[in-house]
Amino acid sequence: MSTTIKLGPVTRVEGHLDIEVTVGSVGGKQQVLSAKSAGTMFRGFEMILKGRDPRDAAFYTQRICGVCPISHGMAASLALEAAFGIQAPDNGRIVRNLVLGANYIQSHILHFYHLAALDYIDTTGIIDMAPWTPRYVTTDMASGSPAKDLVNHYVLALAMRRKAHQMGAILGGRMPCSPVFVGGGETEPVTAGAIADFRALLSELRNFIDTVFIPDVQTVGQIFPEYYAVGKGCGNLLAYGVFDLDAAGTRKLLARGRLTGGQLTTVNTGQIKEYVKYSWYTATSGNRNPAAGVTTPQATKVGAYSWLKAPRYLNQPHEVGALARMWVNGDYRRGISALDRIVARTLETKKVADAMDNWLNELAVGGPVFKGARIPATATGIGLTEAPRGALGHWLQISAGKVGSYQIVTPTAWNASPKDDRGIMGPIEQALVGTPVKDVNQPVEVLRVVHSFDPCLSCAVHLAKPSGDGQKFVVHVEPAAV
Amino acid sequence: MPITRRDFLKASAAVAGALGISGPLLFREQEALARTGGLPIVWLQGQGCTGCSVSLLNSIYYTTIDDLLLNTVDLKFHPNLSAAAGSTAIGAAEAAYGKGGFALVVEGAIPTADLGKACYVWPGTTLLAAVKRYYLRASLLMAVGTCASFGGVSAGKPNPTLAVPLKQVVGGKPVINIPGCPAHPDWVVGTIAYILKNGKAPALDAYGRPKDFFGAKVHDKCPRRSSYVGPGHHSGGRPCLTCHEAGDLSPSRIPSAALSGTGCLYPMGCKGPSTYCDCPTRRWNGAARATPGVNWCIGAGSPCIGCTQPNFPDGMSPFLSAAATTDPAAVPTGGPGVDDEGGDD
Repeated sequence: MSTTIKLGPVTRVEGHLDIEVTVGSVGGKQQVLSAKSAGTMFRGFEMILKGRDPRDAAFYTQRICGVCPISHGMAASLALEAAFGIQAPDNGRIVRNLVLGANYIQSHILHFYHLAALDYIDTTGIIDMAPWTPRYVTTDMASGSPAKDLVNHYVLALAMRRKAHQMGAILGGRMPCSPVFVGGGETEPVTAGAIADFRALLSELRNFIDTVFIPDVQTVGQIFPEYYAVGKGCGNLLAYGVFDLDAAGTRKLLARGRLTGGQLTTVNTGQIKEYVKYSWYTATSGNRNPAAGVTTPQATKVGAYSWLKAPRYLNQPHEVGALARMWVNGDYRRGISALDRIVARTLETKKVADAMDNWLNELAVGGPVFKGARIPATATGIGLTEAPRGALGHWLQISAGKVGSYQIVTPTAWNASPKDDRGIMGPIEQALVGTPVKDVNQPVEVLRVVHSFDPCLSCAVHLAKPSGDGQKFVVHVEPAAV
Repeated sequence: MPITRRDFLKASAAVAGALGISGPLLFREQEALARTGGLPIVWLQGQGCTGCSVSLLNSIYYTTIDDLLLNTVDLKFHPNLSAAAGSTAIGAAEAAYGKGGFALVVEGAIPTADLGKACYVWPGTTLLAAVKRYYLRASLLMAVGTCASFGGVSAGKPNPTLAVPLKQVVGGKPVINIPGCPAHPDWVVGTIAYILKNGKAPALDAYGRPKDFFGAKVHDKCPRRSSYVGPGHHSGGRPCLTCHEAGDLSPSRIPSAALSGTGCLYPMGCKGPSTYCDCPTRRWNGAARATPGVNWCIGAGSPCIGCTQPNFPDGMSPFLSAAATTDPAAVPTGGPGVDDEGGDD
């Protein structure tokens, strides 16, 4: 006898996510038997970008997501540079890395303290007001002084992530949504004053990471060691890599690679396909590499339950994110689970922040930050990078000097994807199967697993292109299917 | 600045006064008590990117986000911050609805194609349906960000989901628009402070934006204005060869040197002359209370893209070319299913 839990809205993620799980008893233990992950908001960025000045992509795509706009600015800039046939000067590359790094720090702090931590602590009697009540309260949650410390650090972390954005703005102009990212480099000049101001904030953040953030995550790990064995999922990992250390991007702070079926190997984006059997798109939209992407919505499609397509690498689901990056790079290989994701994300924050201090030393005060280029009439370019949540790719085609097509495959599309044409579940869905659920009215275990992926749904659901120019399509979402 | 930090403290005092609290105003964060006071807010997100909420978290000029949440507002429902999920979270929003008298804040545009099914706020309830129900019992309607205020990027041509701003689905009830892509946290916090202090909305311009923040053009206060030479003269005083190869005056050429100078960015597409907001003086991402921000778009060598305007983004594109803007009053209109009369459906 099983129970279906419709957990929507999933709060403390970015965007609109509904999770549906079926819970039943296996061997006397109540647990998740099956799961469906669904994105429930849709805008149509590919349609919106079509026909525009290609340089605008670095601005528009940042509005796909306000938590990771910098990653989109980076991917767009790289795609534009590939299409233009140029490379940004070193200062441009390094400043972009520093602004991206500042947003990584902001995002990872936000994720642990403000999105995930409330799943692990009982705040009753510590902070009993909205938005921290109402809430699930389960007996396994930490209370007493670990909870009080985390609440105090939640407040401190609000200031720290604000400072990470302040730091990013010194070179990035404004956070979120930085205006300095352009194909060819960036626009903010490099001055000694900016470097000094940036470094001062970076030191403060590095101290917070070392003395507060990492210990807090270790504390949660000590109180919840069972979560190193919960939420594994498909076990495959994919990383495009990020933070280019040279002009060609051959060396990166976090390398490109993948773990497929237990083997570490290389990435060829030609081996990516997106499937749509369980997604609200026509059959002809599926079984395609993003470079040849087609996206024709079909909201009444029987059996479909999500606006996300199902990206697969060699037909296998792959998880993306900090754990994937740190694993591929050799920095973290303890295991794959809800807690491993959280720990890897924290350690990555330190790795990035520490590296940023060296990058500041590499800047040339007064040196060029930007290289100009003509917009070609016809060109293609691919920009591969990593958002804090995982591998991000922009596929740009320029025709008649305008955007002919613009395809984006985002990290949360990989992680929160529905089943593919073979019926294989996406990473979050797989990670949920087997998750114990003590109380179906307070399925906090489900939240812990889902939150461990740091989902960002605005990124995942934005794709749409009608089959003909100027065609208006009608979106009809069946809520019962979600 | 028209709304000062002192105003904010007075506003918080107004809340405290209403609660019968005397003495020092602000609770120490570590000793926050269970309270039922503060301006109740139901915050719904639609077709957007959460950038406005992320930006709000950066509040510092008037006060910090923790001070705002602990001492001034009662954030009943917020998709990114609420501890509750699922039916527990829905229950919190519905309880606020039942009680009435809350501020309904919408971030993101509202799709209207096919009765709004391109955006659900929770299973079975579209954003359109939620807004059309909740606005009737709200005492204050606020659109945060350009998407909610005017449609914004979410309604960018060809606007496939027929996304519309908040004001088009609330039956003519007044809406305070706080545009920006994202909205500056000060514009949101300062407006809330004004309302709490004065018991009414601040003076709004023709587009529903608080005049205190949106009364002057970026161009009016731009520190680079002395090198502005206006439309029709492209070079901003620079020699042509600064930006163009000899013999090449093609408008699609990205100037290699010009974007990183200190001169006027009008030739590079700056929309400051047609954009209203106080970015040049307020700037972004401040370090401390009552202190302007560390940087801003033009200060970082990047032209203003006009993100607070009703015709953003279409009328401001291309961003990096000095192209004429289209009708500034043009905002997206809804398709079938939008009931501007409000009513009891």
